[in-house]
Amino acid sequence: MSGAVREAPVFRVEGLTRSYRVGDADVRALAGVDLEIGSGELVVVAGPSGSGKSTLLHLLGALDAPDAGRVFVEGRDLATLGERQRTLLRRRRLGFVFQAFHLVPVLDALENVEYPLVIDGVPRAERRARAAAALDSVGLGERMSHRPDRLSGGERQRVAIARALVHRPRAVLADEPTGNLDSGNALRVFELLAALGREHGATVVVSTHDPELVARAPRVVTLRDGRVARDERRPEAVS
Amino acid sequence: MSPLEIARLALRNLARNRRRTALSLAVVAAGTAALVVTAGFVRFSFDGLRAAMIHGGLGHLEIADAAAAAARGAALDRPASPALADWREVRRALEALPHVTAVGANLHLMGLAQSADGRSVSFVGVGAEPDRERRMGFEVRLREGSDLPAAAPAPGADAALLARGLAESLGVRAGEVVTLVATTPEGTLNALDVTVAGVVTTGVAELDTRFLKLPLASAQRLAQTDSVSNLLVGLDDTRATGAALAAARAALAGRAAPLAVTPWSERAPFYGQVRDLYLGIFVFLGTIVVVLVVLAASNTLVMSIMERVREIGTLRAIGTGRGQIAALLVAEAAWLGALGALAGAALGLGAVLGLNAAGLRMPPPPGAVDPIDLRLALVPEAFAGGALLMILVLVLAALLPAARAARLAIVDALGHV
Repeated sequence: MSGAVREAPVFRVEGLTRSYRVGDADVRALAGVDLEIGSGELVVVAGPSGSGKSTLLHLLGALDAPDAGRVFVEGRDLATLGERQRTLLRRRRLGFVFQAFHLVPVLDALENVEYPLVIDGVPRAERRARAAAALDSVGLGERMSHRPDRLSGGERQRVAIARALVHRPRAVLADEPTGNLDSGNALRVFELLAALGREHGATVVVSTHDPELVARAPRVVTLRDGRVARDERRPEAVS
Repeated sequence: MSPLEIARLALRNLARNRRRTALSLAVVAAGTAALVVTAGFVRFSFDGLRAAMIHGGLGHLEIADAAAAAARGAALDRPASPALADWREVRRALEALPHVTAVGANLHLMGLAQSADGRSVSFVGVGAEPDRERRMGFEVRLREGSDLPAAAPAPGADAALLARGLAESLGVRAGEVVTLVATTPEGTLNALDVTVAGVVTTGVAELDTRFLKLPLASAQRLAQTDSVSNLLVGLDDTRATGAALAAARAALAGRAAPLAVTPWSERAPFYGQVRDLYLGIFVFLGTIVVVLVVLAASNTLVMSIMERVREIGTLRAIGTGRGQIAALLVAEAAWLGALGALAGAALGLGAVLGLNAAGLRMPPPPGAVDPIDLRLALVPEAFAGGALLMILVLVLAALLPAARAARLAIVDALGHV
């Protein structure tokens, strides 16, 4: 037996099920998912619409609670955390990127990226510097004072990526981050996520149904009808 | 997130929908201005009524024989018996007190006035000292003729001021002679011919039908007494009434025949009634303003939250606490209240100055004779109170929607269309 302490996976889920009520019918989004995602991994969650990709990311990100099963983030069972602890987990340990960017329209790019540090009480000088560096890293150093309505879709998503990484999270959850982008921008955003994840040592989980992105992922978890249909590791993938 | 950060972000959020924010600000501003203007009107009315009471015949303090004072009512037209014999000594003691401008003696009379052509009308009269009343700031509202002479008239040269209604009933004008008949303290009748020096108004329609004023010396001749009914004390500042009351009571304590020292407010129940009525109207109007502002502001706040459900979901997703979300939304409401109140204060100030400059007049109030100037006082506490009230009202209106927004399920909020 080895004496070394094995590092807990960043995410581990067991028997995860989640249903939603739509009209009079119960729609089962997840029907018993078991999964482990390790530190620094880049994982693409693939599958057709309605396969449960977003639901899985919501549960991993402590945005929602499962009907049954358990979610562990860095070894901590989310069911044991209170509302405030879940909020702090999202604020400090996780980063989120959404399909519709969800930037705050009244804040400029720098202020949007700075926001996670503002709510965490980071001193102004430090957070300004960190936000500026994060924007630099996504190639938007020249667009810091632009508000979202003056940025293109690709630029907005790069701001959202900078916002997701500025507080140096342990993992980034990106739910269809390229869904609103053209193929050129989609690829650039995906590669940026992958590169920055590597650079920060962050685990990156991306949901998508874009075959081009799936082809570039070193690990692809394919969901079908709320179950893991395939969990494929491909060390040769370009990202 | 520090309160400063929350305030800063909240202010930015108000700029999202400028038209709606401007509309809300206009409602709050109009409400604040309405409060400021109404408070100015009410304050001016109080001040005017108080001054009219004090300088129209009550003085700031009344000194009367305690037993006589207890036996009569407070009103001007209910004569007190001439029970104050050593009034000159009492006056000397009082005129030495701080804030006292003068102390005037009054002798109250009731009787019958008769004109040369035989018309008789009952009167209530007061014998007074015109020189001292002038020093006390008493007003004589002459409609005809002239005021009473400052010096006490010699026997046979008695004069009187008749209130307008009484002069009309008797059919006399300034310069004509009327005969006054009154009972003496001993119960006998005495008569005195007086020349009508002038026709006045008391400002109160009912009293104008019966009132006359004559010099104290003439009144004493008619009543055949050297005593007076009471002494009226005038002060240089109405705010000193409390201190002067205490000083007068201390100065007059220990007399064999105790004296009652009564402040003007206790002798003017009408003032209290009017004040209560006006305050009631002010509170009623304030309640309407608050309800309107709450309704308008609630609508704005709820709309503003409904439009931002996805954003609120995003902010919650990336780690904003429920308390931070609620604080942000409440801060937006507080900004609306503060900025609206600031605009309302400026609007109210402009309205007060503008209306005062316009020199408008209002019809006589019930029971009064003359129209009154529409003037508004600047009431600093109305500006401050109005502003605080608006902020408080907006914050209270925001509490429920803010709490609801903070408790939105994140996933539902993110998927909100």
